[in-house]
Amino acid sequence: MKKVGKSMFFIVAVLIIGLTALSFVGFSTSYGDFTTKHIKSAEDIRWGIDIRGGVDVTFTPPKDYKPVVGEGEKESDVMLRELNAAKAIINNRLATQNIADSEVYTDTAQNRIIVRFPWKEGETNFNPEEAVKELGETALLTIREGADGPVILEGKNVKQASVGQNPDNPTEFVVQLTFDEDGTKAISDATQRLLGQQISFWMDDVSFSSPVVRDHITDGKATMSGGSTPFTVEEARDMADKINGGALPFKLETASFSSISPTLGTGARDVMLWAGVIAFALISIFMIAKYRLPGMVAVIALIGQVGGLIACTTGFFNSVPSFTMTLPGIAGIILSIGMGVDANVITAERVKEEILVGKSIDSAVNNGFERTFSAIFDGNITVVIVAAILMGAFGPPDSFFGTLFGFIFSPFGASATGTIYSFGYTLLVGVVFNFLMGVTATRLMLKSIIRMKPLRKPWLYGGKKS
Amino acid sequence: MIDFCGKRKLWFSISLGLLALSLIVALVFKVELDITFRGGSIVTYSFDGDVDKTAFENEVQTLLGQQVSLQEQTAINSDKVNYVVTLSAKSGITPEQQQAVSEGLAKAFPDNNIQVVSSNNVDAVVGRGFLIKSLVALLVAFLLLIVYIAFRFRKMGGWSAGVTAVLALVHDVMIVLATFIIFRIPISDNFIAVALTILGWSINATIVIYDRIRENAALAGKRGTDIRETVNKSINQSLTRTINTSVCTILAMVVVCVMALVFNVHSILEFAFPMTMGMVSGAYSSICIAGPLWEMIQQRKLKAA
Repeated sequence: MKKVGKSMFFIVAVLIIGLTALSFVGFSTSYGDFTTKHIKSAEDIRWGIDIRGGVDVTFTPPKDYKPVVGEGEKESDVMLRELNAAKAIINNRLATQNIADSEVYTDTAQNRIIVRFPWKEGETNFNPEEAVKELGETALLTIREGADGPVILEGKNVKQASVGQNPDNPTEFVVQLTFDEDGTKAISDATQRLLGQQISFWMDDVSFSSPVVRDHITDGKATMSGGSTPFTVEEARDMADKINGGALPFKLETASFSSISPTLGTGARDVMLWAGVIAFALISIFMIAKYRLPGMVAVIALIGQVGGLIACTTGFFNSVPSFTMTLPGIAGIILSIGMGVDANVITAERVKEEILVGKSIDSAVNNGFERTFSAIFDGNITVVIVAAILMGAFGPPDSFFGTLFGFIFSPFGASATGTIYSFGYTLLVGVVFNFLMGVTATRLMLKSIIRMKPLRKPWLYGGKKS
Repeated sequence: MIDFCGKRKLWFSISLGLLALSLIVALVFKVELDITFRGGSIVTYSFDGDVDKTAFENEVQTLLGQQVSLQEQTAINSDKVNYVVTLSAKSGITPEQQQAVSEGLAKAFPDNNIQVVSSNNVDAVVGRGFLIKSLVALLVAFLLLIVYIAFRFRKMGGWSAGVTAVLALVHDVMIVLATFIIFRIPISDNFIAVALTILGWSINATIVIYDRIRENAALAGKRGTDIRETVNKSINQSLTRTINTSVCTILAMVVVCVMALVFNVHSILEFAFPMTMGMVSGAYSSICIAGPLWEMIQQRKLKAA
């Protein structure tokens, strides 16, 4: 067995504690007024909506909806295209509303679109129902003949919509529309034909204004006003955004919908974090009391495991996106601490056993490692299997494990809740770091400790005090 | 040295007794599926001051035009009470309906600042699909684990090792289910997550013991020691290790349970408490059920040979 130097213990211990501290605190450099973040801190953890509060909604096209299929096209292909178009528009709408952290998934097997977004920081007016309504609006702009006649043109013929002011009354705002080629031709024909008559501007099922046609419009531009209730600047801007964002290919219906207010979640998160700290402390005391020196090594390894978990959640480097951490995710971290210590317990027990039988410290430690590796390996692999299934079944269909298990799970549709996905993730990462810390780092540390003369006393490893 | 194999009738009866108890409770009180699986609607409202329970319930019923049931729930980290409204129908309400109810409640109780704390609406079809998917996930886990154990312990009678280990797991999942039933926790995706986790965890302890059995059997080698003696010896040798690891993991979960109980974090309590019970059962089944069961099958195999 390769001998390990005395200094290895300090190297490993310092590395572990250093990296863990770094993953909690982060690292950034400032130059004048600019601060560049190089390494993310624990504050950069992206919390799930069960903690931050927010909305989780599943949209579907209407039950009996069938897309318009062109020549030689399959219905399923057209449906897929429309679903993706809807997803892009929803993403657009979320971006326009400055909602940074949203998740939008399409479930192509079941024709569903799942949207999750948290409340904006500092938002005081929580209106989940309103938010869902805005997201799911079809947002189809139509210009019609007369007050409610045939459609002249639709939103898709609008190249650009922007906010303008009513020249006759600067406190009123309007939306200025610029049409594309087809739109320009259509509006030109219509205004020529309907000179002196009404045309109306509609958004979905609401008519906003129905002015009389005064000129023949040939430059492809038109102005939409609020009619009898003129637009404020916000309303005009919202309308322009809606038109620019595009209309959804089909009406969206809500199949499932949940909302959580932020006060509920942050309280729960703090309770869980405290639970984690207490659990860690108790386990550390237990390990040191029962296994003495190997116990202390185990505690350092556990610190490394927690550090690794935090690093993998925040992404550590500024360029890597943070993983979403939910309440079950925190429970997963606590659980993996409890399970992670397993590797150290097995090893320490074996070492103790060997010492009590009379073996030397060196051979006891070596035997302890060799004889227990396969049991530790098997134990961790089974958790990996289970965590993979958890992530595949409860996560987005296009994630790694979602696609891996796709052939089994996709017939059943994507999950309504996303919180368990985070739990599977923390279990999985916990196991990986358990291998790194609980096995490799522990061995390095312990093998180096036994070379230190003053620590070569059997009772420190579980033997009896002589 | 404790004769685990010899006392197997004792262990099996304890387990069967617990399962029988949960069956009785399941029959007497109906097993409740959470809305995540059956579809439906649950909305939690907070309020300031005093709001009469019956008046509130009636108001919501009138606004929705449907039957509802109302329960009180203590808010997280405070003494305030929230009202939890559950729709009796199987379908969720739409955001428009929810908004209409909120506005109606604000009109009916203008001084009480009624707010939606959380809402959960699930379509029945979506819910059922999710239920089936979760059960399939459980089944897949069982199968994968049987295959894994059978492969790792092929020298120990491969399939018999796999099957007995998984029977102990099935036992654990049923104890978890029993916990949900006896403590009247609606069965939700929490149950599936807990069950899957217990599978992964409980099999560890079983593996440790099988590992020992394999090692001792190899050491005994040609001398062909009595199977029962080997199994008993292995279990006894692994006892301290199994108990100590279980202690650490169970301790971690108990801390979570206690904190969740004290601070009224219901969602986590409904997750952590069954998890704790599952782990206790997992340790118990690995020690007292898996080994003796395997030994029993091996003896039958020998007799048949």
